[in-house]
Formats: sequence, C-alpha cells, structure tokens
Amino acid sequence: MSSDQDHLKETDTEARFEFKKEENSAFETEKGLTEETVRLISEDKDEPEWMLERRLRALEQFQEMPMPTDWPGQPDLSEVDIDEIVPYIRPDIETRGGAESWEDLPEEIQDTFDKLGIPEAEKNALSGVGAQYESEIVYQNMQERWEDKGVIFCDMDKAVREHEEIVREYFMTKAVPPSDNKFAALHGAIWSGGSFVYVPEDTSVDMPVQAYFRMNSEGMGQFEHTLIVAEENSEVHYIEGCSAPKYSAFNLHSGGVEVFVKENAHVQYSTVQNWSKNTYNLNTKRAIAEQDATMEWVSGSMGSKATMLYPSTVLKGPGSTDNHITIAMAGEGQNIDTGAKVYHNAPDTKSTIESKSISKDGGRTNYRGLVHIADGAENASTSVECDALMFDNESTSDTMPYMEIQENKVDVAHEATVGKIGDEDVFYLQSRGLDDDDAKQMIVAGFIEPLTEELPIEYAVEMNRLIELEMEGSLG
Amino acid sequence: MSTQVHPDISEQQVRAISEAADEPEWLTETRLEALAALDDLEMPEVIRTPGRTWTNLTDLDYETLVDPDNQAEDKEWVEAEGAEVLSIHEAIEADEDLVREHFGSVVDTQRNYLTALSTALFTTGTVIHVPEGTAAEDVKIRTTMNSRSLFNYTLVVAEESSEVTILERQSTGDDVDGHRYYSATVEVVTGDNASVQYGSLQNLSEETYNYQVKRGHAADDASVEFIDGNVGSRLSKSSVETRLLGEGSETRIVGAFFGHDEQHFDIASRVWHENEHTTADLVTRGVLDDEARSVYEGVQDVGREAWSTSSYQRENTLMLSDESEADASPKLIINNHDTEASHSATVGQVDAQDLFYMTSRGLDPETATNMLVEGFFVPVLEEVAVDELREDLEDLVAQRLRS
Repeated sequence: MSSDQDHLKETDTEARFEFKKEENSAFETEKGLTEETVRLISEDKDEPEWMLERRLRALEQFQEMPMPTDWPGQPDLSEVDIDEIVPYIRPDIETRGGAESWEDLPEEIQDTFDKLGIPEAEKNALSGVGAQYESEIVYQNMQERWEDKGVIFCDMDKAVREHEEIVREYFMTKAVPPSDNKFAALHGAIWSGGSFVYVPEDTSVDMPVQAYFRMNSEGMGQFEHTLIVAEENSEVHYIEGCSAPKYSAFNLHSGGVEVFVKENAHVQYSTVQNWSKNTYNLNTKRAIAEQDATMEWVSGSMGSKATMLYPSTVLKGPGSTDNHITIAMAGEGQNIDTGAKVYHNAPDTKSTIESKSISKDGGRTNYRGLVHIADGAENASTSVECDALMFDNESTSDTMPYMEIQENKVDVAHEATVGKIGDEDVFYLQSRGLDDDDAKQMIVAGFIEPLTEELPIEYAVEMNRLIELEMEGSLG
Repeated sequence: MSTQVHPDISEQQVRAISEAADEPEWLTETRLEALAALDDLEMPEVIRTPGRTWTNLTDLDYETLVDPDNQAEDKEWVEAEGAEVLSIHEAIEADEDLVREHFGSVVDTQRNYLTALSTALFTTGTVIHVPEGTAAEDVKIRTTMNSRSLFNYTLVVAEESSEVTILERQSTGDDVDGHRYYSATVEVVTGDNASVQYGSLQNLSEETYNYQVKRGHAADDASVEFIDGNVGSRLSKSSVETRLLGEGSETRIVGAFFGHDEQHFDIASRVWHENEHTTADLVTRGVLDDEARSVYEGVQDVGREAWSTSSYQRENTLMLSDESEADASPKLIINNHDTEASHSATVGQVDAQDLFYMTSRGLDPETATNMLVEGFFVPVLEEVAVDELREDLEDLVAQRLRS
C-alpha cells in the first residue's frame, strides 16, 4: 500500500467529515423559494436571459407538482419544507468559477478540503478536480495534457457563460426535464454550481476526474448540476463525493446529473455519498446512450437521513449497454431508497443491475427499480440481481422491482435474495482468530466487493473505511 | 373514483336480494353497510410506474356491466366424504353460527369498491365445512354464469387436523349481448394443523370482466394452498393471498395463465409471514400470445415477529407473440433478519436451443413449440391435487395452442 493510501486510512475519517467551519459567505439568499429568489440567483451569476427563463419555467412546474407521497414504503418527506431552506450561498472567495490553486482559497475552505483528502488524491489518482463549497465551485483544475486535447472540465456556472451553445442545447432539455419530478423542477429553478465535462471525439481520459461537494452551513440546500457530454469513441470516468457536518435542522441536497454518451463512447459515473444524517438527498440522474455506447453507474450511499436516488439510463442507440452497481447502507434513523431505471428503446441493448444493501440498527433500505423494454427492442437482455444483508430485527429491507416487457425477443431475468449475516461464516472467521466485529466487517467487505472493485484503489479504501465506521459500535 | 355504479343500485334492490334468500338480519346489514360504503371506497389498487398504469379499471362501464336483479347461474356441487358442502343459504340454515363467525373474517367485506359491490350483491355461494380430524378429497363446485353479471361467494372452514382438496370452476353459459361481469370472494379458514388445497379454474367467456379475491388464514402448523388457473375472460384481476398467522404454518400459491387475443390478466400472489417458522412458496407460470397482456405482482412480507422464515417466489412468463406485453413486479418486504427469502422472475421466448433440438429430431417448429409450451406448465400442474383441475387445465392449454 502506498503512503497516500496510508494517509487516507490513518486519518480519522469521522473527524474528517464531521468538522464545521464558521459560516462566511459573500452572498446568500433569504430562506424560501419565490420568483424573487430565482431572479436574484440568476442575477448574482450574471446569467443569459434564456437560463433565467428556464429557471422561471421550472419554478412554475415545481409549484404545480405535488410532493411524491404515495410510493409504497417511501421515505417520509413531510419535514422537507422548501420555505425553511436557504437555497443559495455564495462563499466569500475572490475567484468566481473556481481557483486553480488551493493556496488561493480562504484558509477555512482550504482546510476543509485538506481534511477531506482532496488535494492529496488529486496528485495521485485524478485527471482533474472540482470542489464545491456551499453553492459554488471554489476550486477547479485539470491536468494540462487534457486541456490540450480539448477536454473541458469546468464549473457549471462558468460553462453557461463560456460554452453557452453546448449548455443551451443539453441543459435540462433532453435527459432531465424539470417536469420529470418535483425535485427535478426545484433543481431547475435554483440550481447552482456543479461540473461541466466535455470529452471530444476519440479521446480517452485515462484517469478519473472528480468533483467533491461540501455543505457547511446549517439549513442550506445544495443543488449542483452536472452535465457530461462524451463525444463519439471517447471515454471518461467521473467521480463525485459528498459530505456535510451534521446539524439539527435538515439540509436538502437535490442534484441534477445529465450524461450524454455518444456513439461507441464509454462513461462511468461513480458516487460515494456520505451526507450527514440530517440531509435529505433527492437527486435525478439520467444518461442517454447512443449506438454501441456504454454507461456505467456506480453508487455507494452511506450517508443522509433519507435518500431517493434511481440513476436512469435510456438505451437509445442499438447495441448500447448499461451497467448499474449500487450499494446502500442504512443505519439508525436512515431510509435509503435507491435503485435503477433502464429504458431499452433499441435492439441489441443490454443492461445489468447489481444492487447490494445492508440494513442495521433500525435502518431501512429499499431497492426500487424499473426495467422497460419497448416494443421493437429485439434481442434486448437485462439481468437484475439484488442482495440484501440484515444485521438485526429492528431493520427493514425492501425490494421492489418493476419490469415492463413489450417485446418478445428478449431475455429478462430478475433475482433477489435477503438474509441475515451468516452465523457459520462468522464462526469460521472467529475460529481463524478474528473477533466478532472484525469477522462481520470482513463479511461486509466481501459483500460489497463488486462495488469497490469498480473504484480506483483510493476510493475503494475510503469506501471500506466508511463502512467500517458505520459498523463500529453497532455490532452485537 | 368517478365510475360509480351505485346510483343505479338501490337499498331496495339489496334488501330484495337478501329477502329472497330469507337471510338473517346480520347478513342484510352487512350487505347494506357495504352498499353505503361504496361512496368512499377506492377501486382496487393497480401498479403505476412513471407514465404508465398497468391495469386500467376506471374505464370500465360498471353501470352497463352490473345487473343486480337478474343474476342467474347453474351450480353443481360434487360432495366428498368427510366434508359438508352446502350452498351459502343452506349453510346458514344448518349452522348459522359457523357462517356468521367466519363470513368476512378473512376478506374485508369492504376491502375496496369492487369487493364491497360483491358483498352487497352476491346471490350465490358455497360453504365447505370439514370437521375436526376428517379428510375429504375432490370437493368440486362448478358455476356456469348465465346472466350479464354474477356475484359469487365461497367459504372454506377446515377444522383442526382436517384435510380437504377443492376445485371451483367458473365458466359462462347462455350468451348475453355485450360485456359481462363476474366477481368472486373466497375465504379460507383453517384450524391448527389443518390442510386445504383450493384450486380455481377460470374459463369465462372473453366478453367477461372478472374480479376475484381469494384469501386464506393459516393457523399453527396449518397449510393453505391455492391453485389459480386463468384461461378465460376479457380482463381478470385476481388476488390470491395467505396470512401465515400460526407458528409453523405454510402456504403455496401456484398460478397459471394463458392469454391470447386481447386478454388482460392482472394476477397477484401475496403472503404475509406473521409468526415463527413459517414457509411460503409462490410459483406462477404464464404464456402470452397475440396481443395479450399480463401484469404480475408478487409480495412476500415478513413481519417483525416472523423469526425463522423461509419464503420463495418464482415467476416465469413466456411470450409467443411480438404484440404481447408482460409486466412483473415481485416484491420483498423484510422486517426480520432471521429470514431466508428469494424471488426471481423471467420473461422470454421459447428456448431456442430446445426448439432447435426438437426440430432436429424431425418435429415441425409448430409442434415443437406447442410441446415446449405444454412442458412449461408442468411444474405448475404437478402441484394440483384434484385430477379434474389438472386435466382440464392441460386440455385448455392444448386447445388454445391448436386453435
């Protein structure tokens, strides 16, 4: 193991996420959501008129749509009162659109990301890094060699100004329209920050790019937007991480992610979600895959009070492929409702969904998934596998897949299992000298291996550490 | 719900049905309460996904479908030694306490709009009573519906350590112009260590809309088995459910359907594990041809107190036509970690390799396909205890394949 991994391992991970910084902002809106707020945000960002119009249209849709309340077993959202959150906080930094050097940032922000290990990771494993603090990206940098090849990795606000044509074409028009759901509409009205990634034709970005999202203030909402356009025969791996310190009032995170995977391109989108346990995490993530393209969603959801997240892929082009790997872990007071959606809209499309969940100490996990095979999607195949591990009798594990098959030349298989952690396995490991806790941790590490395998080693280590933390003290 | 039928159904009509059968006061009251509840009741739940409703029940024109005053049927009972098989009204005369105790104890008489409608309007029914320690084989109820609409009721009471196997079949007789409506409620009550297999074969005409709820309560060490065969009807919504209330109780819910033309089957198998050491096995196999559509929901719900649970579910759909459509949602709801639970679902065509093998042995593709479809139903047919049900289901599948 290299010294960097030791660094990550040895740092007290809990302390790394839990610290709070004094709130220090240059501009922040009032609590609540009105047309006035939306206009203020747009004005503060000096946005073109069309973006303001899109925001206002989204706001209208948000106000018309009902809260989702009737999904069986869904998280309770009654506490989520939009009028109680601060939707927009611009941190007090000189450089809008992200500094290119960590040293240019105010000390408390620098210190935040140091503790989170971001600059360290940037040196070793990443092609580029973006860091968002409250509502805006504060740091953005990418290795020169990628810039030379025409790869764009910049903050979303900057992209609206500097890459207006591309953004105008793709931004909440094709993949995630505000009308998709209430929180997508909310996001469309008050989005701020996030990343724009553009990979030109025939370009493979060989190391991942990462964005890290940090909420520091109490009662705020973070609504970053991520737009990835991967042109023909290109390849990119995008990693997002997120965390916040815990406050007594609720925080709201409602991100929007849109991924366009062009012919024969390959995009992997990985998320390690570790929001504090007062955060409602309600995201809309969708990819559109063209002919022979591959989209991969890798998601680990450990944090938050309630998560509702179902990354979707529309397999639009013949021969396109989708892979989902999702891991959810719910402890005390957590309701992690995750899953996957795949629309097979063309022949010879293929999807695999692998879902693993762990529930303990009264936590609740739910796999909610939809696979739709449209008429004409000949030779489509899909395989869904859900496994759930339960630690105790206070916890709940639900599996609710939906399959809609309108084509007969298909191969559709769904399988799910639920069980408790195996006494025999624990006994075996104990007989080899491990104590009970270590034995269970080892079993869990094995259980989630399909996910950690897909992440660069630094993140795999981080993921395992997070899970160890979640399990500490909770094992009987 | 806007599609309400009750403006056309008066209290007088319900009273008339009850009086004609000389029913006791409590049953008349239960009917009237169900009628009054219609205003506030919802249609049965159907699955919805973004932009799609899997079964549309609200567009049905119940006003023309339901004709409460003119219900007519032929009913045949084949009794079996060891069981008392009586019409509901004979049963009330013979042992009113028994019927009163169990009527509505398993299926809520006001479960939803359509069940309440059935409670208010049923004119025909059967009570099967199996006394303690006795065993009865091959009880048969054959109902032929001759009117536009028919509301049927069945109650099975199997006392402690008794055993019974039952076949109830529904078909249509006299022709009626236009659409028809058949509704049935089936309640199965078991004593400790009792064992019931209730099989149903639905072969209604393809102008008939069909709504059925079959539900059983399993006591300690009791076993409740359902076989649900659906071949007929224009649209069927059938829920087959067991509550495993007793320690060591078990259930098996076996479903088979074969849809063609524009048939729509909405089939649900649901089980609730509510005590220790319970076992459930849900198996459904369906075939779709032409523009037929199927909706399957399976629910395995393991309660907080259901220690040491085993629960399995398998659903397989074979699509013979490009115009058919199959929707499936097998759900696991697990609240106790001392559980071994799994489910699986598949949708696909006849296996290409099997087909190749058989045609290479000289069979023409059509014959080979037919044989494979018949073979596909074998695991389901093997579970059927009543020969008539198994043989008739086999025949119906064979007929449909060759039609």
